[in-house]
Amino acid sequence: MPTFDDERFEAYLKRFRPLVPEPLPAVEPSLRARRAVALGAWAAAAVAILVLGALTLHIRTNRAHIAETAESVGNPERLQGSQPLTMQSANALMAKAPSFKAMVDGMSFRSQAVPLPKGKRSAVAVLGKEKIKL
Amino acid sequence: MHRTEGNIAEIEFLYREHGPALLLFAQAVTGERGRAQDAVHQVFLKLLEKGSLSQVVDKKAYLFACVRNAALNDSKLRDRNTPLEPDSAWFRPPDRDYTGEQNLRRALEALPNEQRQVMVLHIWGELTFSQISELLGLSSNTVASRYRYALAKLRDSMFAKENYCAYF
Repeated sequence: MPTFDDERFEAYLKRFRPLVPEPLPAVEPSLRARRAVALGAWAAAAVAILVLGALTLHIRTNRAHIAETAESVGNPERLQGSQPLTMQSANALMAKAPSFKAMVDGMSFRSQAVPLPKGKRSAVAVLGKEKIKL
Repeated sequence: MHRTEGNIAEIEFLYREHGPALLLFAQAVTGERGRAQDAVHQVFLKLLEKGSLSQVVDKKAYLFACVRNAALNDSKLRDRNTPLEPDSAWFRPPDRDYTGEQNLRRALEALPNEQRQVMVLHIWGELTFSQISELLGLSSNTVASRYRYALAKLRDSMFAKENYCAYF
């Protein structure tokens, strides 16, 4: 049974308060950091999906455009115009021409037939007419 | 068990509420403030990892038991006969009574370990003899007896005959 003295002594002792411990090491920030990481991961996944979608769409559009271009270039009749011979058109000719001769004919250079001004002559034409003795 | 804002808030509240008494108790067990601090932190960090105390009936007594286990486990790893730190303060003294704080600390240090634990648990931990008996695995009578001895020794150590009435 506690005596009166004991109670007063206990009350005296309780006036001494224990020291407050140091705060817990980075509990709250770590939780927030984990949340931020999770949120960041979701955001990154969403961005990746969008980029992939855009890339797929872009590739498909490009393929369609390339196929269309190849088809148009591959047509030998298109070379009959004034456009210059290129590697691409030559390749297309090799692929599409029915025979070797037809291919060579298609690849032959065409004269540009640029009209000269009046009173002037082409140097090549003049030289071609001259007989040069070697 | 999942961590939720509510669980974390509850654990943080318990840390603020009982942290000082738990730290003092851990100091009474380990005799060293740094080790005591580690033991308390270890317990609360584990609780935060597990996420909840909802299944615990007597949370305060449970926390003291956890801190005691952590402190004793730590003591097993080191020298169990480490003397208590002589110069580190244990209490915030009332009215800047630093001499009183030093006297109280020395008196506590002079107590046998088991009496010191009972004293700290009852006075500053505000646990009942029944809770302490469960925590320490002793009978209530043994706990009460240890407490009475400790209180008498503490009073004798703290107050010499000439200033016995200092606290009246």
